[in-house]
Amino acid sequence: MMRQVIYALSLGIVVSYYFFGWGIVLQIMLGVITAVAVESAFLALRGRDIISSISDGSIILTAILLAISIPSIAPWWVIIVGVSFAIIFGKQLYGGLGNNLFNPAMLGYVFLLISYPLQMSTWPINFLSFNQALEVVFNLSNIDAISGATKLDEIKNSLSLSSSIQQLEIHFPSQAWINVGFFFGGLYLLFRKIISWHIPVSFLVGIVITSVLLWISNVDLYIPMQNHIILGGTMLGAFFIATDPVSASTTLKGRIIYGFLIGVLIVIIRTFGGYPDGIAFAVLLMNMTVPLIDVYTQPKVFGQ
Amino acid sequence: MGNYSFNGGIVIKNSYLVDKVEIVQASLPKKITLPLQKFDGKAEPCVSVGDYVLVGQIVASIENGFDVSSHSSISGVVLSINTQDIAHKSGFKFQCITIKSDGEDKWIDNKAGNVDFLHYSKETLVGIVQKSGIVGMGGAGFPTHIKISNVLNCHTLIINGTECEPGVMCDDALMQFYPEEIILGIEILLYICGADRAIIAIEDDKQAAYQALLTVNRNDKININQIPTKYTSGAEKLLIKALLDIEILSGGFAINEGIICQNISTIKAVFDAVINHKPLVSRIVTVTGNSVYPNNFEVRLGTSFEHLISMASPNTKEHKYRTGGMMMGIDIVDINMPIGKTTSAIFVNNKVPEPIVQECIRCGQCSEVCPIGLLPQQLYWYVKSKNFEKALNYHLPDCIECACCDYVCPSHIPLVSYFSFAKMFSKQQTIEHDKVNTARERFKYREHRLERNKLERAQVMLDKKKVLKEKMVKEQFQKQKITEAMQRVKQEKDKI
Repeated sequence: MMRQVIYALSLGIVVSYYFFGWGIVLQIMLGVITAVAVESAFLALRGRDIISSISDGSIILTAILLAISIPSIAPWWVIIVGVSFAIIFGKQLYGGLGNNLFNPAMLGYVFLLISYPLQMSTWPINFLSFNQALEVVFNLSNIDAISGATKLDEIKNSLSLSSSIQQLEIHFPSQAWINVGFFFGGLYLLFRKIISWHIPVSFLVGIVITSVLLWISNVDLYIPMQNHIILGGTMLGAFFIATDPVSASTTLKGRIIYGFLIGVLIVIIRTFGGYPDGIAFAVLLMNMTVPLIDVYTQPKVFGQ
Repeated sequence: MGNYSFNGGIVIKNSYLVDKVEIVQASLPKKITLPLQKFDGKAEPCVSVGDYVLVGQIVASIENGFDVSSHSSISGVVLSINTQDIAHKSGFKFQCITIKSDGEDKWIDNKAGNVDFLHYSKETLVGIVQKSGIVGMGGAGFPTHIKISNVLNCHTLIINGTECEPGVMCDDALMQFYPEEIILGIEILLYICGADRAIIAIEDDKQAAYQALLTVNRNDKININQIPTKYTSGAEKLLIKALLDIEILSGGFAINEGIICQNISTIKAVFDAVINHKPLVSRIVTVTGNSVYPNNFEVRLGTSFEHLISMASPNTKEHKYRTGGMMMGIDIVDINMPIGKTTSAIFVNNKVPEPIVQECIRCGQCSEVCPIGLLPQQLYWYVKSKNFEKALNYHLPDCIECACCDYVCPSHIPLVSYFSFAKMFSKQQTIEHDKVNTARERFKYREHRLERNKLERAQVMLDKKKVLKEKMVKEQFQKQKITEAMQRVKQEKDKI
């Protein structure tokens, strides 16, 4: 099952690679190696079976999700620290797979974002060859010319400099295409019945409703709906992150509420918060409410 | 009546489909073993070791309780009466009668003949059903005469021909080969229960059976209804929901709504009992699985699984045996155990390594297929952490153990085993709890009684004291009177 999710991710990863180059491949490799090493060490400490736990693919998925969420030119230690944190504090300390309250990848992401804001907000602006990526990631030389802020950040910064939305030239092919990649990967998951439609659909509906409401209230000040959909990690979040079965709600009604509120929170955090993208925060916030949602959305039992 | 549906359930591809359903007569076994107990109460053997018995002779009868009589299914000599293992979910040993065949198949003198059942009173017919040892042959084995006697306001009789367990085809075969007998059997039951109508429910993948019944049915009270092929539609409450859109309340019974459900095999047994005066001594059993050629056998009750499996000639590899069904059945280790009245199928499969059980990732697939609308992942969580009270709050007792959740679980967790364990455990806990409560009540009563005795004794003492005191006062009074009299006499004396 986790393996299918990894296959579904590959389309988006290929698109990312097309735009940003080898950095992303390096990050994924570093992430997966770290994940396997840390998980094995921890399982050995806890006296659990290592092989079966690693072969379920869940930690590899966590590592890949984190690796594609962070900037592909982040220094090598960022992903290592992030993945270690995600696995130790996000998963193993709760008792391993199935017992964690929070989405480990997002926990790792937020940890990195708070601890290393600079490394977490510089993105490449063009394709990097293998050697270039190697140099940047392993800090062999500084290539300033290849990095810039994310588009959502850019819009927000421009808006705070009091230029209105219409004055900004908004076309962001790279991020939009990556989102398309993840969208089709997500459709594959839906088609294979790996995930149910409830979370992605309500998630996107949440984004649409909130962003449209904001946009109507002030056309000049807020980003239009379509940009919320195609920018940032929207599709990755909708199909791959919010749908993490362990930390999401398990009832059908609960999933709709859970996804919808994540969508709402994302727009609110993107618009009013200090961070470029709100997915990680929104997901973690909603993770906390899952036990409550689950209790109040139990299905009707036959004959009751 | 239409085609309603219930939530959940799963569509399982029937992997052991055969082109043509047959019924093969199984050869007579060398010996049979008849278990005497299923429910409450126990049939008492009315033969002793060494007795010669005929086919259809009652070997154990029952006065009270929920069980029915047992009949010998072969002619021969009673070998032993002792406790043995039988294929039962509880794993308990049951008292059994073992009979050795003489190979002659001699029947008791039964006045066979096509008697018009309308000549009999309803009570007589119920009596015949009871004497013939008929129980629900679908799986639960509930005595049929109890289900159909003293029913008030029964309006609908549902005949369960769904056989939703993949691979099982004994009811399919019965419907194809004995459609007239089944229709007549339904008419008998309609007469006994006084129901207005009967609905035969057949899954839509059993076209031959459907056509067979349709051609012989002349009774406009009997309706033949096809329902979609979906697993768990054979469960009584879900079938009622699918046919009539009536939801039987949790803890309630179908008869509360005026509905009686009967299995196809049971109907055939009722027909045999009433029309042919033939007690329940044999049944149709499906032998299937990837190690045998799937087929139906008419087999005498009490025959060992081994005898039947050898007739289906499996190859010599190691096999895994399961009885009842792929989903709800039980694995059997000892194939010398006997075939009972509720044995519908035997699965003979090649041994495959058990899948590795992994952690629950709360994917929720189990709750999507649960026909009852439970949250198995939540129940599993609570049962695993031994939080049975919470599991009961999540409606654990409503679980029908259909194993849909087991089937879809990507982590291969045997959820139903956890649930049946928890059910048993909490039942045990309730019993213990009741015991403690009874003991406490008894103790309280004892205290109360002792206190009361003490008070009573005190009262008696008090009364005695009072009497004594009164006596004393009286005596004193008399004494005084005497003294007064003496004084008076003295005074008189002095005057003189």
